Amino acid sequence: MDCGGHGGVHQEGEALAESGGSGARIRILCLGNDLLADDAFGPAVGEELRRSIPEEVEVITTQAAGFSLLEEVLGATHLLVIDTILTGRNPPGKVFTLRAEEVEVFPGNSPHYVGLFEALELGRRVCLPVPEETVILAVEAADCTTVGGPMHLRVRAAIPAVVRLAQGIVQGWRKGGARQVS
Amino acid sequence: MSMEGKTRRITIDPITRLEGHGKIEIFLDESGNVERAYFQVPELRGFEKFVEGRPAEEMPQITSRICGVCPTAHHMASTKALDALYQVDPPPVAKKIRELFYNTFMVEDHALHFYFLGGPDFVVGPSAPPQERNVLGVIAKVGVEVGQKVIAMRRKLREILAAVGGKPVHPVLGLPGGVAKRITPEVQKQIRAVAAEAVGFAQFTLEVFHDVVLQNTDYVNLILSDVFTHRTYYMGLVDQDNRVNFYDGWIRVVSPDGKEWARFQAHQYLEVVAEHVEPWSYVKFCYLKPIGWRGFIDGADSGVYCVAPLARLNASEGMATPLAQEAYREFYATLGGKPVHHTLANHWARVVELLYAAERMKELADDPELTDPHVRTLPTATPREGVGVVEAPRGTLIHHYQTDERGIIQKANLIVATQNNAARIAMSVEKAAKGLISGHRIPEGILNMVEMAFRAYDPCHACATHSLPGNMPLFIRVRDPKGNTVATLRRDFDGSIHRDA
Repeated sequence: MDCGGHGGVHQEGEALAESGGSGARIRILCLGNDLLADDAFGPAVGEELRRSIPEEVEVITTQAAGFSLLEEVLGATHLLVIDTILTGRNPPGKVFTLRAEEVEVFPGNSPHYVGLFEALELGRRVCLPVPEETVILAVEAADCTTVGGPMHLRVRAAIPAVVRLAQGIVQGWRKGGARQVS
Repeated sequence: MSMEGKTRRITIDPITRLEGHGKIEIFLDESGNVERAYFQVPELRGFEKFVEGRPAEEMPQITSRICGVCPTAHHMASTKALDALYQVDPPPVAKKIRELFYNTFMVEDHALHFYFLGGPDFVVGPSAPPQERNVLGVIAKVGVEVGQKVIAMRRKLREILAAVGGKPVHPVLGLPGGVAKRITPEVQKQIRAVAAEAVGFAQFTLEVFHDVVLQNTDYVNLILSDVFTHRTYYMGLVDQDNRVNFYDGWIRVVSPDGKEWARFQAHQYLEVVAEHVEPWSYVKFCYLKPIGWRGFIDGADSGVYCVAPLARLNASEGMATPLAQEAYREFYATLGGKPVHHTLANHWARVVELLYAAERMKELADDPELTDPHVRTLPTATPREGVGVVEAPRGTLIHHYQTDERGIIQKANLIVATQNNAARIAMSVEKAAKGLISGHRIPEGILNMVEMAFRAYDPCHACATHSLPGNMPLFIRVRDPKGNTVATLRRDFDGSIHRDA
């Protein structure tokens, strides 16, 4: 569909973009729940980044899932997602750098778990101002279901490396060099 | 994980991840036919230990933070459990604010579910390939304008939730004895406008359901098919006139022939609900205690029951608002009277409920008492034990706390919708498996049928709400009578099917 008008963005998208977030063009979305063992990784990285990232970059920490995340990222041009990943084939703490377009979208075991990528694609289809570029920094987790559980030592140890990677990606975007991320 | 070739496809091996998590175990008999099948859902561990020793008043925040999908339902069930714990009756306006807030949430959640979450199964169609059964397929079918309309409605509803509840996702509204904030005349005006729009939106959604779903003969036949039919008991919250209520009332249970079997208050739930444990699964299967556990079987002699929109309609005698009541009447007239036993009718029942939630939201928004500033009764009694119940979008949700005299949690128990439905989900998975596996022959088509069977219940998986990629692949293990693995089937994220024998 031709999104037309308003600089290629549906007017509802503009209203949505205005109603959420700070309006920052570069946003870092730290996903996870600090009550759930390794799932606390995203919030922990977010806490570190807030101390070191330039003010014009917004760091958002949330345990919301699926479509609730869409409103958080509308209006941003560049999005960095910090999250855990469970491949089961890598040691806890291993860090992956991915691009949104590399993650395929399939129906899950329950309709109410719609991923961020599905939500982003939906936003794009209905002409909302979704980020032009999305990069994901994910760390292999060991356990995300124990309430009040501690973070795995290797997952915790990955925090400084992911913070440095995030700083580098954001620096590249600020200089207009998004292609530096690969 | 592997990243191959120029386009770098990501494949995630599910086996280790699914060990002890979301997987299907199928047990064959000596003839190679299905003896038993289980669908295992992951559960959070350590919840009771974590909350032990914490002040009870923290529970509405803690429990809502644990669930990233429907925190509002946990917040409200927890708040009501605190009312009971501190033996305090909130003032009338506080109850109205809570119910208004809760119905606003139900409109938002049901609309999202109908269009974008459940839609892939029934709007795109059950026979569509997995690659098309997603929200993009839904948009292709209903049109971009409808997608924009849904997102616009959702934004307005979330603004109301933020104005009333403090935050749109994790509310800070509920306190024992009332709510944290009154509603000002300005906010009431805003709510009235959105509520009126929500009623129109719900009517429009009912039309979409008629046009897109009911006109599709294949889908209607699937709703009515035996594979997706179970004759069990049904549970739901009702008001004094036995009409559906999401926020408060009596828990009512009807038998497979639709007659009232039980009607009780939340604090009596342990007299009615018990949990059964199976050696091959860590899922606790809820059943009706007075009837007892008779296994995974249909009928009035089996204690198996279910919850969620279809169960709520079955367990009630109608809807409390006029447009929803008309939709309720049409629902049963079309599907052959009460109760309806077809699991896939949940999607239609959800639209009936959407209409009710919008109408109830409007009734409460128009109430002149809504701006009354007396929004809390301060608790003074010594706490001991409290049970709270609400209807979460996916079914009856119960919070039960026991504390010492200072209000420090000694024990907590939560019964969530998926636990209530666990036995019937297992039965549906088993029925689908039995229909396809015979004489040691295990066709790949079983993946789709089994998936349809459990997705219809929209089960809650504790984990995987955040962790990438957000969805779990499908994994089926088939065992012989001795428990040895004879075959595994799995479908990865890229749609590829892998079989090991």
